[in-house]
Amino acid sequence: MSDQSSGLSKAQEIYSNRSRRARELKAEGRKLIGYPCVYVPVEMLTALDLIPYRACGDIREPVTEADRALPGSFCAVMRSCLDCALKGKNDFLDGMVAIHSSDPQEKTARVWESYTDHPYFHFIDMPVTVRPEAVEYFTSQLDDFRKTLEAFAGRELSADRLKQAIDYHNRQRGLVRQLYDLTKTSPPAISGTEILQVVKAVMGLPVAEGNDLLTEVIGEARDRTDRPEKKPARLLLWGSTLDDADVMQVFEAKANVVMDDSCGGVRAYRADVKLTADPLEDLARYYLNEITCARTFRQASPGETSKAYTKDLQSRFGYLDDIIREWNINGAIMLLVRYCDPFAFEMPALKDYFESLGLPSTYIEYDYTTGALAPLRTRVEAFLETIA
Amino acid sequence: MYFAGIDVGSTMTKAVLTNEGGELLSAVKGPTGPEHRRLANEVMRGALEQAGLQIDDISYIVATGYGRVNVPFADRQVTELSCHARGVFSLFPGVKTAIDIGGQDVKCMKINGGRLIGFVMNDKCAAGTGRFLEATAATLGIRLEDMGDIASKATKRVQISNLCTIFAQQEVVALLSRGEPLENIVAGLHIALASRVAALAQRLVIEPDLALTGGVAMNTGMVRAMRESLGRDVLVPEEPLLTGALGAAIIANEAYREAAEDGTLPTGTRRLEEATFFAEEDL
Repeated sequence: MSDQSSGLSKAQEIYSNRSRRARELKAEGRKLIGYPCVYVPVEMLTALDLIPYRACGDIREPVTEADRALPGSFCAVMRSCLDCALKGKNDFLDGMVAIHSSDPQEKTARVWESYTDHPYFHFIDMPVTVRPEAVEYFTSQLDDFRKTLEAFAGRELSADRLKQAIDYHNRQRGLVRQLYDLTKTSPPAISGTEILQVVKAVMGLPVAEGNDLLTEVIGEARDRTDRPEKKPARLLLWGSTLDDADVMQVFEAKANVVMDDSCGGVRAYRADVKLTADPLEDLARYYLNEITCARTFRQASPGETSKAYTKDLQSRFGYLDDIIREWNINGAIMLLVRYCDPFAFEMPALKDYFESLGLPSTYIEYDYTTGALAPLRTRVEAFLETIA
Repeated sequence: MYFAGIDVGSTMTKAVLTNEGGELLSAVKGPTGPEHRRLANEVMRGALEQAGLQIDDISYIVATGYGRVNVPFADRQVTELSCHARGVFSLFPGVKTAIDIGGQDVKCMKINGGRLIGFVMNDKCAAGTGRFLEATAATLGIRLEDMGDIASKATKRVQISNLCTIFAQQEVVALLSRGEPLENIVAGLHIALASRVAALAQRLVIEPDLALTGGVAMNTGMVRAMRESLGRDVLVPEEPLLTGALGAAIIANEAYREAAEDGTLPTGTRRLEEATFFAEEDL
């Protein structure tokens, strides 16, 4: 490992104890607002000097408390997130914002609200299509969110402040993309595991501090001599949530994970928010259209009645084609957390799409616990043996 | 020259020795238990004794199975999926699809010329694995190995609606208290398990020949139930438990040749005895 002052080791330290930095910020008088999912418009928090803190689950923590409220056959990530919250692991948070990105999150949010006593709580409703009416409705929901936030923060969220916050977060998105650019080489200048640690660290920091950390890491990784080892396969990891370095290391033991499409990775950063006159609507458009999560239904062309499967696949997964070529990817893993139905239903079509590109892929479902690591290793290694 | 394959499964550990012509010299099985490494030694020692060989006579060893990383005397680890594919292919050269039902996994494999080209495995829980039969046999107070014979005496098959091993046990208890004959319940359990496995296998395009391996394939009742659920014939090796270890030995033979060509042959002596689960670095 590099010296302690380096960006990478700083990121690793924050990653392994995210709440420490959060508690420091809290002690400095800052307010932190938790969010469990990348669909929450963090720009609106930043604009009011509230620190967005991605509330995560923990694969090492056996779910016990959440069992009081949630069934066992339920989104394993949400169960774990709630369990950590109920055990007081996020007790530094001043509030929580959840969003209807999936039904389990909506149900969990209600429980969260009743079982915890954060001073602020807000739930954002969110449509599941990308039609113009959906953007309009989502904008109105974000406007409701603005009102409760303003009441909590005791000041107005002006368009100018919001635009400024969007600028900061767009800069962060650009930096994260630069981080992923470092994996285009062979061997990559930074490993998938390191990227995961950096991104998860950044998701718990004020945006400016996160941007400084990213800048430092990028500079360091670019010039490093101790690059990650070159492995026989360059993998794309598509799926719901992958936010644990130990899980990532199962993949990286015998392959380089050079790109992901996961909400613990690049998903929140792949595109920028395009600013026009109405920043709230810009955010609505961005979060609905630009974040590629299976929870959003994408029609080839809204209102179109003819069904063309190839065209449909292209409009849903076309963005992956460029990635596969640019990052020289030779295998894809569709990784799902157990009981994640939206992604499970997306999988067969994506498999067809990968096949149409001639890219070998496999589908693996894992339990969000450390017990999942051994079965995961067998499946990953067997897949790598098929493409070797 | 001699080669070894050792398959440390969740329930059983298996070792196979072959000569360079691929001829089977010895095969030993034993329960895995909690101490993978110790048993890996014992099973390997048994296989060596049976073949009249010493550990130093073995040119290359491949370890496979769930406990493959706990075989310190192996030269290489390969997953059980690739090993089964290779092993089944050596027994049935026409095989295109294989289903291995083990103690905690079900593996459905697509095979092309002995190479694994695709697979699906059980992903939710132990439903559909050998554990399902083991647990329900225990509830019924019968021996696992008698289940196939008992099922063959059934006059009808009771519907078992629950595939969760725990709930199936409850269901079995309820059926017993209703006075349902044992053989009918056992027959129902077989078809319940087989239909679950068949549904999983059908996620792959099943092409003949189709082979069934793993400990569960030793149960004639399961073989019958699998034929029925899949609506096609299944081939079963004489020793369905050994295909993984056999495949590992064949891969060992091939890996040795490759390594010899590349000049990357393993060096140093193997120490069978030192390999215990409680190695010093763990203390």
